[in-house]
Amino acid sequence: MSHRNVIQNGVIPSLGRREILKSASAGFGYLALAGLMGQGIEKRSIAADSNSPTLPGPLASKSPHFPVKAKRVIFLFMNGAMSQMDTFEYKEKLQKDGGKFGPGGGTLLSSRYKFSKYGESGTWVSELYPNVAKHVDKLCFIRGLHTDTPAHPEAVIQLHTGAALAQLTRPSMGSWLLYGLGTENQDLPGYVTINPAPNFGGTVNYGSAFLPAHFQGTKISDVGYLPNVKAQAPSRLQRRQLDFLQGLNRDLITNPSKPHELEGVIESYELAFKMQGKVPEILDYTKEPQHVLDAYGVKDGPEGSFARQCLMARRLSEAGVRFVEIAHPGWDQHNNLHAGLTRNSKATDQPTAALLADLEARGLLDETLVIFGSEFGRLPTAQGPDGRDHNITGYPMWLAGAGVKKGFSFGSTDEYGQTAVEGRMHTTDLHATLLALMGLDHEKLTYRYAGRDFRLTDVKGHVVKEILA
Amino acid sequence: MRFFPHALALRFPVLLISISAIPVLAEAVTKEEAEKVEFFEKKIRPLLASNCYTCHSATTKAAGGLRVDDRNGLLSGGNAGAAIVPGKPDESLLVEAIAHTDENLKMPPKKKLNDEQISDLKIWIEAGAAWPSELVSSNQSSTNPKYEKLKKEHWAWQPQTNPQPPSVKNSGWVRDNIDRFILSKLETRQLQPAADAGKAALVRRITFDLHGLPPSPAEVDAFLNDTSANAYEKLVDRLLASPAFGERWGRHWLDVARYGESTGASRNLPMPHAWRYRDYVIDSFNNDKPYNEFIREQVAGDLLTARSDQDKRENLIATGFLALGVKDVNQRFKVRFIMDNVDEQIDTVSRAVIGTTVSCARCHDHKFDPIPTRDYYALAGIFRSTDLRAGLRNKMGGGGLDYYDTERLIPLQSGKSGGPSAEQLEKAKKEVAEAKSAFEKLRDSAEGSELSPDGRPRRAVARQKFNQKQIALANLTDPAANGGHVALGVLDMPAVADTEVRIRGEAEKLGPVVPRGFLTAFDVPGAKPVNVKQSGRLELAEWLVNENNPLTTRVIANRVWQHLFGQGLVRSVDNFGVTGDRPEHPELLDHLAQRFKAEGWSIKKLVRAVALTHAYQIGSEATAENLVTDPENRLVWRHSPRRLDAEEIRDTILAASGQLNTKRPVGSPAGDFKVIEIPNNGPQARQLQKASKDSQSRSVYLPLVRGIVPATLEPFDFVEQGTVTGSRSTTTVPTQALYLLNDPFVRRNALTLADQLVSDSSQDDQSRLNKVYRLILGREPANIERDRATAFLNEFQVIWQEESAKPVQVASANSGRVMQVSQITTQSDANSAPAQDKPKPASKATEVAKKPTPPVNPDEVIQEDSPIVEEIIQPSNAESAAWAGLVQALFGSAEFRYLK
Repeated sequence: MSHRNVIQNGVIPSLGRREILKSASAGFGYLALAGLMGQGIEKRSIAADSNSPTLPGPLASKSPHFPVKAKRVIFLFMNGAMSQMDTFEYKEKLQKDGGKFGPGGGTLLSSRYKFSKYGESGTWVSELYPNVAKHVDKLCFIRGLHTDTPAHPEAVIQLHTGAALAQLTRPSMGSWLLYGLGTENQDLPGYVTINPAPNFGGTVNYGSAFLPAHFQGTKISDVGYLPNVKAQAPSRLQRRQLDFLQGLNRDLITNPSKPHELEGVIESYELAFKMQGKVPEILDYTKEPQHVLDAYGVKDGPEGSFARQCLMARRLSEAGVRFVEIAHPGWDQHNNLHAGLTRNSKATDQPTAALLADLEARGLLDETLVIFGSEFGRLPTAQGPDGRDHNITGYPMWLAGAGVKKGFSFGSTDEYGQTAVEGRMHTTDLHATLLALMGLDHEKLTYRYAGRDFRLTDVKGHVVKEILA
Repeated sequence: MRFFPHALALRFPVLLISISAIPVLAEAVTKEEAEKVEFFEKKIRPLLASNCYTCHSATTKAAGGLRVDDRNGLLSGGNAGAAIVPGKPDESLLVEAIAHTDENLKMPPKKKLNDEQISDLKIWIEAGAAWPSELVSSNQSSTNPKYEKLKKEHWAWQPQTNPQPPSVKNSGWVRDNIDRFILSKLETRQLQPAADAGKAALVRRITFDLHGLPPSPAEVDAFLNDTSANAYEKLVDRLLASPAFGERWGRHWLDVARYGESTGASRNLPMPHAWRYRDYVIDSFNNDKPYNEFIREQVAGDLLTARSDQDKRENLIATGFLALGVKDVNQRFKVRFIMDNVDEQIDTVSRAVIGTTVSCARCHDHKFDPIPTRDYYALAGIFRSTDLRAGLRNKMGGGGLDYYDTERLIPLQSGKSGGPSAEQLEKAKKEVAEAKSAFEKLRDSAEGSELSPDGRPRRAVARQKFNQKQIALANLTDPAANGGHVALGVLDMPAVADTEVRIRGEAEKLGPVVPRGFLTAFDVPGAKPVNVKQSGRLELAEWLVNENNPLTTRVIANRVWQHLFGQGLVRSVDNFGVTGDRPEHPELLDHLAQRFKAEGWSIKKLVRAVALTHAYQIGSEATAENLVTDPENRLVWRHSPRRLDAEEIRDTILAASGQLNTKRPVGSPAGDFKVIEIPNNGPQARQLQKASKDSQSRSVYLPLVRGIVPATLEPFDFVEQGTVTGSRSTTTVPTQALYLLNDPFVRRNALTLADQLVSDSSQDDQSRLNKVYRLILGREPANIERDRATAFLNEFQVIWQEESAKPVQVASANSGRVMQVSQITTQSDANSAPAQDKPKPASKATEVAKKPTPPVNPDEVIQEDSPIVEEIIQPSNAESAAWAGLVQALFGSAEFRYLK
């Protein structure tokens, strides 16, 4: 496509194909007409699909660049930087040398928690995660991660959007996925974030920035609340009202002054009507059988928050939501390291393990990628009497499920766990790899804005093939 | 020199720039310098890395504001001043700190360096503190051979022409020369322009376009009944004279100026005085301030000669244009904070005023447009010499008022009481210092975890005390205390200077110095160079609004066209560069630009001229033939239907229900916020949402703290607020339908209007239908529509009664945190005088949140969502319910949403 046809900044783009379509009476089969063609197709540089004769809506399922390994993602975000030294990163020498002066300054702090080897892979996990430990043979650890900024707000934003630059807000990774792949279930939002951080960039972390607004994440509270999705009138009344409203809309179909979005508007009401039934139902995790609720550890109040989120994540993902992010905040232990770790691991261990088991039992783990991790890690050295400071030079995350090796570990840090030495992987490489798993080429998934092509990985990023199954 | 006894092999990159002096090229690197660098690499860098980097480097932080992994970091030093003075170890703070002689300045704090290390550092400083520079890529400042060609060829950079309006066959169609340009192309392409829009459609179109509001039924009648030849002209003039014009067109500029009332980005801090800039913009459009003056004030208001005190204040407020962007106050490094803000200013000015994406040249020469990195840093020097007065400082990891700097504001007018006495000030400062040090002692110590008598850890108590002392001090030093007026804007720095190219855009990596100046992509004959004694913003402003600047007037003329026709002649309204859209009508654009200048840069005159063209007044009907030839309507053969924007939809709903208050409110609901981080689920966020919900003012006056978009504006693609956005996207998504079906704002206003209709017993259903169709759609219903509406009203009432007889549904178990507040709009309520900006009495959304304890480390706290308060709107009887259902359906209709 020539540059000439590419319009910037959300300006209504070429209507050519849209008008032709319309005259060919493509019917109501496509949603969200406004941004549709130009924003959804023409500006997108996705492989095969732009020549597709039946044009779907911007959120319709799209064909990717590569064979798809993972259809959906569930990201378990440990907001605030979990201490890897006390959970998933065992370093024999650190355990031995506690109290000594560390290589980068500071006093080494051994973990107080007992580590053991688990599974056939013999992976070390601390006693804080006994339930997740049972699943280690499903996990794929990446241990050589590093990022650019040791401040939470910037690092959280970078993890979610690829760039910490404040001057230009970038689209979040979920919105890139939605833009590239659409969603499988048109009755549901394609990208959901539950309990996102209210600070550290807040909405930026699930926003669509310069991508059209329908690619942004839908925020849901940790009790499953979404504004306006619950019908405010009995269904019969609302249907009668809707019939009257749709009658007004249909009157315009033959009007030569009709807006080209008209069919999209009509369709959007029918969809909304269906969503009112579907979304609250899916978010109502209390409908699960008691043994499931117990397995996840669902309860009211903040202690049960993550369990509720895990369960909602499974329900949403199962229903076809492309990207679900859930979060447990409060990992920033400069003080109260041990009390904080105990509280947080207690809240996250059982539900995380239950999610993995549940996905597997339902046969969903083969097509769902689970990601668990923080914006960066913490140092092997002590901070104050009971704390650890930030570390961006080496930290782990783990992945599980679709497309990644099982019981596998890639990359490593030095003997104390401070700096990544092998298999170094920048946040951007994580993004490139994530896109590849979803079937997208991070160099080809571009969007033109303000005079240039943007990517989730900007000008960097390489796919870490070593971890792909 | 007696040190460096061992001459070592030179193993440094060939292209080397020494930053211990003015950058020089490889040839000039002497053997001696190479030895010094070798010494640094062997002895000093490892020493710094293993002893200091944990607290003072790029990968960690800049404790005390100091970085030691960068020579400039050491030179500019931290909060206590320069860390090293090259050649003078005795004057270097670093040397003092490592000696461990001063109790308050010991570095590293817990472990003194050994004597050899201390001696090495002294030697290194005495020898000039050599530091090898980055390898400069060889293409950094080369000239791109494509550039000369582009400069000559790209349409937008060529001088404006004064094209002769073309002749047309159908000259009877022409009402203005603008029409000649349009018709001539239509005739060439054999496109027939649509027939004239009907008068009813026209009055609705022009009223929305100029006011963002619907015409009242009386205004429609007045226009329909006015049969004089100049009825439309009179209508346009009346609309232009109303304050509603500035509220609509000012909002367009606020989009471009990425207006927001907080820093956004990583730590969202309120900018409580931003609203003054908003009002300034609205007033400027209402007063028809010449556009060149408008730009001049926003870019260099502080440097202009003021005619009066009032004028001076206005000029200072105008510079808010440069100050109100997104800011990363949590940025660890001051130099990056500064250069990021400079970049933000360059991006805003260049895209807003001249439709050029200059920011691309921050890291490398522009890939598409002829903008070398040199040009970027010529502009950067201007903004680097500009003092950003947004009341903010950068700091990594802070809480409370840590980011607020009351000295970095622009006082406009002092408050009631005079300033504090020197003693008061001294005392408050001392108390802050004490509280701070008490807190810092407890922050990382075991003692801090001990519980105080009130059950909280001692460090939390100490932080709270520190916060209180900060607030007490701010109350004394804040020029806005006691009713003082303050602007956020810019001033010139006390010391102005050219700045260096930053290698790959990295703030610390200095390349050669570039003299301050402007872009070289196009010529502006007659423009004055930068006055080197000032920042250069004044000359930049003059360069922008110079009559010979080819872009400025083209860009604004295009924006005016866009807001009247739905899209610009150049579609990419913020990008006139090579990657932008090429206009079908470059001659018309020049014609508009030339007329604009000749008419004294008057926005109102240009709007008037375009609104009076025949082209503007044609209908919106499409024909199959024209759709095939020009599907995008680039040639303007019809008036493309346009979706109302978020503000228009909200304001019209309020206007139709009689609830709109057209008076401007004073200030902003965020105007008295303390400059303390706002989480988007906390009490302040809720307070803002409530203020927005209760407000009956026009949408332009709603609080616009970044990340906390009013719920009534969010569904319909409200502007992003982060960067220059001349053109909003328009999506069609189910969340919009859900909003129109279920949102309490829509339902409440529908019910209010319904109650008004029902309570007026002098009216029958037919006249009620007439009224409601006229209020919402601007027309009366057709007969078939009446029948359907009547059937709807009857059936709806029956169903409503049946449903009301059923037992009330119990809320599902997991909505435990959702509080429901019922609101039954009564008739007396609906009949009470509207348009008072007071909260509606029926909304008793009680606040149940406990007062939170101030966090010690805000980043550690689990921020829980405030309980959700859901407002349930319940009609009191079947008739009201049916009418409310009908009103709401009309609000939801495509006819309402799209303007013909």
